[in-house]
Amino acid sequence: MNTSLRLPSLLVCHLSTSPAQVEGDGEPDDLYRSIVLEMKGHDPTVMASYQKYLCMTCEELGIHVERVWELPKCIERRSLLKSVHIYKKHFRQYESRTHFRNIELKRLTGSTADTFLEYIERNLPEGMALKVTKHRIEPLPPHIRPAPKQVEDDSTITQ
Amino acid sequence: MASADQISHESMVNQSLRFKMARSSVSCKYSEFSMVVIPGHNHTGDSVERRRRPELPVIPPREKSMPIDQDWTTVWPTASTFKWSAVPLPIRQGRVFVCFKNFSESNIFNYFHSQKAEQDGIPPGKYGNLELMKIPNFLHLTPNHIKKHCAALKEFCTEWPEGLETDEKCKKHFPVEVISSDYIVDSISLRDPRARTVCIKINLSSLDLDSHAKDKFIRLVGDRYNADTGELTLELDRCPMKKQNHDYGIYLLSALFKESWKTEGWESEKTVDDMEMYVWSMNESKKNTQQITEVMKKAAENPSCKVPEYVLKSENVLETEPVQEYAAAVEDLHNVGEDLHSLEKYKEQVKKMLLAQ
Repeated sequence: MNTSLRLPSLLVCHLSTSPAQVEGDGEPDDLYRSIVLEMKGHDPTVMASYQKYLCMTCEELGIHVERVWELPKCIERRSLLKSVHIYKKHFRQYESRTHFRNIELKRLTGSTADTFLEYIERNLPEGMALKVTKHRIEPLPPHIRPAPKQVEDDSTITQ
Repeated sequence: MASADQISHESMVNQSLRFKMARSSVSCKYSEFSMVVIPGHNHTGDSVERRRRPELPVIPPREKSMPIDQDWTTVWPTASTFKWSAVPLPIRQGRVFVCFKNFSESNIFNYFHSQKAEQDGIPPGKYGNLELMKIPNFLHLTPNHIKKHCAALKEFCTEWPEGLETDEKCKKHFPVEVISSDYIVDSISLRDPRARTVCIKINLSSLDLDSHAKDKFIRLVGDRYNADTGELTLELDRCPMKKQNHDYGIYLLSALFKESWKTEGWESEKTVDDMEMYVWSMNESKKNTQQITEVMKKAAENPSCKVPEYVLKSENVLETEPVQEYAAAVEDLHNVGEDLHSLEKYKEQVKKMLLAQ
């Protein structure tokens, strides 16, 4: 009973996989108009080293670096009076500084972007955060493209 | 515990055996009296000399034996904590400690001629330096490393297709732009709730819409449409996954497109009073213009009358350039408002339309 049920589905599976699907070359690659890397960290020198590494990698892989820019640092201060009650000389101020650096890359294909991002993300130094914003471009979906007249006719028919 | 007990028991048995043997050997020498011999206290003559392990020479740090032209990528292949013995660089890091307060004059002379003076006043050297271990190093990402890595990665990269060199060309052939972000931080989880957000951008000019459909489309999307750039922005974050949000955005776009092409039955009942803005073709001004042009056409039969050229040239006068420009000027006057610029424009267009050049 079970085998007779399974057999057709297996056959269908077997027939539906064409050679193109097996090789995986049927699907078009993604296209990224631009990729913006936004770095965040507390140590500006480590960030500078990482930025240098990124630029060298881009040069080696032939990726176009559009621009590199730095945002103003963000300082968060906390005040503390170590003495519970009086004694102003025990007043302390602690601060944490967050530095930012951005890099914009232009015109990457999907496979290049995947390879590059995997590589740089694995080599991200400790204590640094990275935000990767990808601008992917796509053609219009096929069902939006047909001639408007046809759609109009359809709407009149439904009315 | 059992094994410890066993060991102590065995050692006791051994000791008693040795004690007995010593006693018997001594009893042979002094047959009259037997002497109590305590091993360790009395010299028994059978002690074994302890063997000493020869001292191994201290191996000098690895950096001393490194050739100058070595391949650094083999020395430091992957990310690792700073090792002072493996880095042949005179690196210093840390806080500077120097104190001349307690020195007398003679001491200062001695101090400046001692080896210690070389170390003071400058950051501590690399030997056992914790500061150098704490900071992330890039010794595994030198230019040579990067060249090696990229040579291996190059085969997975593909060329950017030709004909898409500028942003304008990209927008022309691929009008939909999908913006999404990935976040990498030092935390216990790889997932980030912000990563699900997808933003879809499209310029309305790339969609196939007539004036009615465009008007309806803009009304449907509300403040997601930017009138200055003509761009529609859909921010999608209601689904838990990025792919779901993207698919929902495309669905929303197609639903908007189809809906804006529909014309409801009651839309034909719209009169001039219901219009949100002045439309020249629906108003009295069009009729008046038509009458005037017909009058001018009749008048042209009389050779003494001078009539603008465009009236005679074309069959459909309302489609000609001066009339269309006049219509635009009138619409501008009503929709934008009366100001010096629009009034001046209206005056020019009227002169162009009515007077012969």
